[in-house]
Amino acid sequence: MSILWQEAMLEAFRETTLRIAHVLPKLLAPLTFLALGLAAGWLVKILFLRVLRAFRFDALCERFGLGSSLAKTGMQQSASHLIGRLSFWLVFLLFAFMGIEALDLTATANMMSVIIGFLPHMLAAVLLLFFGVLLANFSAEAALIDTVNAQIQEARLIANFIRWGVLIFTAAMVLTQLGIAKEIVVAAFSITFGGIMLVLAIAVGLVGQNIAKDVLEQRLRRRKVEQDEMSHI
Amino acid sequence: MTMTKTVWGQVREQLGDIGKIEVLVGIPTFNNAKTVEPVVNAVKAGLSKVCPPASVVVVNADAGSQDGTPETIKQAAGPDIRTAFVQHLADGFFPGPISLHALSESGVPGREHAFRAFFTVAEELQVQACVVVDANLRSLTSDWMEVLLRPVIEKGVDFVAPLFRRARYEGSLTNCIIYPLSRALYGKQMRYQSGGGYGFSGKLASLYLTKNVWEGEGAHYGIDSWLTTVAVAESCEVSQGFLGTKIHDGTLTGIELSLLLAQAVGALFHLMEAYQDVWEGSTGSSPVPQFGPPYEPGPEGGAVNVERMVRGFQQGLRDLLPIWEIILAPETLAGILPLGLVEAEEFRFPAALWVQTIYDFALAYHEKALYREHLLKSLTPLYLGRTASLVLETRAGTPEDVERVIETLCETFERMKPYLTQRWRFS
Repeated sequence: MSILWQEAMLEAFRETTLRIAHVLPKLLAPLTFLALGLAAGWLVKILFLRVLRAFRFDALCERFGLGSSLAKTGMQQSASHLIGRLSFWLVFLLFAFMGIEALDLTATANMMSVIIGFLPHMLAAVLLLFFGVLLANFSAEAALIDTVNAQIQEARLIANFIRWGVLIFTAAMVLTQLGIAKEIVVAAFSITFGGIMLVLAIAVGLVGQNIAKDVLEQRLRRRKVEQDEMSHI
Repeated sequence: MTMTKTVWGQVREQLGDIGKIEVLVGIPTFNNAKTVEPVVNAVKAGLSKVCPPASVVVVNADAGSQDGTPETIKQAAGPDIRTAFVQHLADGFFPGPISLHALSESGVPGREHAFRAFFTVAEELQVQACVVVDANLRSLTSDWMEVLLRPVIEKGVDFVAPLFRRARYEGSLTNCIIYPLSRALYGKQMRYQSGGGYGFSGKLASLYLTKNVWEGEGAHYGIDSWLTTVAVAESCEVSQGFLGTKIHDGTLTGIELSLLLAQAVGALFHLMEAYQDVWEGSTGSSPVPQFGPPYEPGPEGGAVNVERMVRGFQQGLRDLLPIWEIILAPETLAGILPLGLVEAEEFRFPAALWVQTIYDFALAYHEKALYREHLLKSLTPLYLGRTASLVLETRAGTPEDVERVIETLCETFERMKPYLTQRWRFS
């Protein structure tokens, strides 16, 4: 009896120890991946910051108005720091997912392949967003300067209209790229854009026909309106 | 290289085997059939006083006229003078509608290509002198050829810049920015009255061809500004020729003014980077020799709408402030802000503040603080403000008073040059 009890106890202990010995590396793997993720993320962040600084990326963003756009959204950091932080979190999350995958859980099976499959869309969306914001700021700035120089009183309105037009277009493209409610985004964008155009057309037709006439006359017939007769050069 | 071969190939084909050519006359054109005939007649009459017709070749670089301009020139030139025609924009190149060089001061698109063609032919023919005259001029007389050619042929001058008798506030962009800034930078009192007519030595024509201004960023700006700047900065023998009154076709609207300003000022800022070593050490300024009749200030001009200019400045202050905050130093901006509250009649833009503004723009251009075309165009409302101030300060006075104000502004530019040099070194 006591021998049987002893064997049962030993067997259970051995079994448990073996199971723990088998599971422990699996438990350690995620921790190791997390530590590696921290180190790799930090390294990638430093690398990005160095490269972006070497290419004077922040100055470039300032020139295209991205810096001021970030400031308007409440971001205190420079664009290069933001990209550095994003790259850190991207690398860290990749390692974290590898750690979860190492646990070999049924619930997280195939997660990595799904994430890796989604990564190109994610990167394309980030790039689209980046260049969309740049284009929006650049176009709005160009429109603002030209309309101010032409002494059009609604200069800021026109510039904002262009900025938001490009931003809405960018947002629709980003959401489509990410595959989020594709049909709804396309329909919403078409309705919004079409609606704005219709409103503008009606507004010009009803209220602004004289303004439109004057502008067209000035443009096409080169009619002089309040123009001084001096040559500047 | 391709351009060189194409242009010279076209000219050689038309002229055949020609003997020694002393003078090349270049006429850049674009739909100038209405005005070009008197120009060619005046050139012919003027050349006969200076050199034998056999030693002259007239080259027309046309940007694709649709009104028969080259044919008109051929007819007007007749058989006495050899003429050659170059289609400098024919090889599929045409400036885009939104690019800076879409328009030039003379109304000829891609004007720099025309000049490059003239200099290429001048180098190939090894001419002694080269004259370029605009085809849209209504005031060109036969005397112009003497004024532009004689200093080059007889006195060994490399560059004769045009100097015109202009109405009181004409050329205010030149008087408010181009002339004072370039005078302060390079130390030569060249009035920088661009366009109309130039005289070059064959040596200078060849020198221009070696400069890195024909392609890339430099080519986007107005050629007239850098023709003079290169001649001055390269320590060539420069002079001015008084050509009387300048009357030409074409007026400018608000948008075109900003483009013109970006072209002219951009060329100067661009060359500041190339010639940093030259201008950093230069102090004060000296006059340059002048040929032709003595210079005299112009008469009363057309109407100047000061209120519109002040409104333009104040709108700029209201709408472009975030952009100016990037470009201007805080103390400059602090000086400009109160001007937004002043009534049109009381409006004054102090000379020192204006100098500081221009130097800040030059520094911001150098630092690439903003996309450069935007930076240059955003100067337009400030320029309108300064011009309005100049008009308000002097409209009760004589034409000599205007000259005095311009002279004071030039001296202020020279006096405040350390403001620029010190900041430039650390930017």
